[in-house]
Amino acid sequence: MIATRKHPSLEGWRLVICQPINGAGDPLGTPIVAIDSYGAGMHQHVIVTSDGKAARIAVGDNNSPVRQMITGIVDKTAEEEAA
Amino acid sequence: MRLGQVIGRVTLSQTVPAYEGGRFLVVSPFDREHFQQGGQPPEGLSKQPSLVVYDDIGGGVGDTIGFIEGAEASAPFENPTPVDAISAALVDEIFYKPKK
Repeated sequence: MIATRKHPSLEGWRLVICQPINGAGDPLGTPIVAIDSYGAGMHQHVIVTSDGKAARIAVGDNNSPVRQMITGIVDKTAEEEAA
Repeated sequence: MRLGQVIGRVTLSQTVPAYEGGRFLVVSPFDREHFQQGGQPPEGLSKQPSLVVYDDIGGGVGDTIGFIEGAEASAPFENPTPVDAISAALVDEIFYKPKK
């Protein structure tokens, strides 16, 4: 997602659209936008936190409204390993 | 952050002083079907309930914005302010290719 005009704290951050999924990997709910420092690629599974405090620390601005942040990229799950 | 389309504005005659400098927009949040259309502005309203979003970055009717709900919405204000949702990004381009 590209946005020129945004809150100053989001300057320089990559914004990615994430689709929450359920245990079976099916889409669950509406897509959300998260800040990404890991360079997550298309269709990769990621872990997204909605902890605003952690995200504010990450962007280094205590007045930032940012909330969703990617905290990890999933290599494989236990189910995939078993399969 | 969720994305939505601005469908209207709210004008107030009397407000909490902290609201000065901003405006309120009526926003229809995108649901999955709206995302499917990619960069094109979606037709009609989504099934999601519309909401009023505080805006100080200059969103207008028809724009797509990213807005943040919850306690974080009041974070940009210096003093505690009653805000449920705040716009954080004016979206220029969406690149969305769902797997299924």
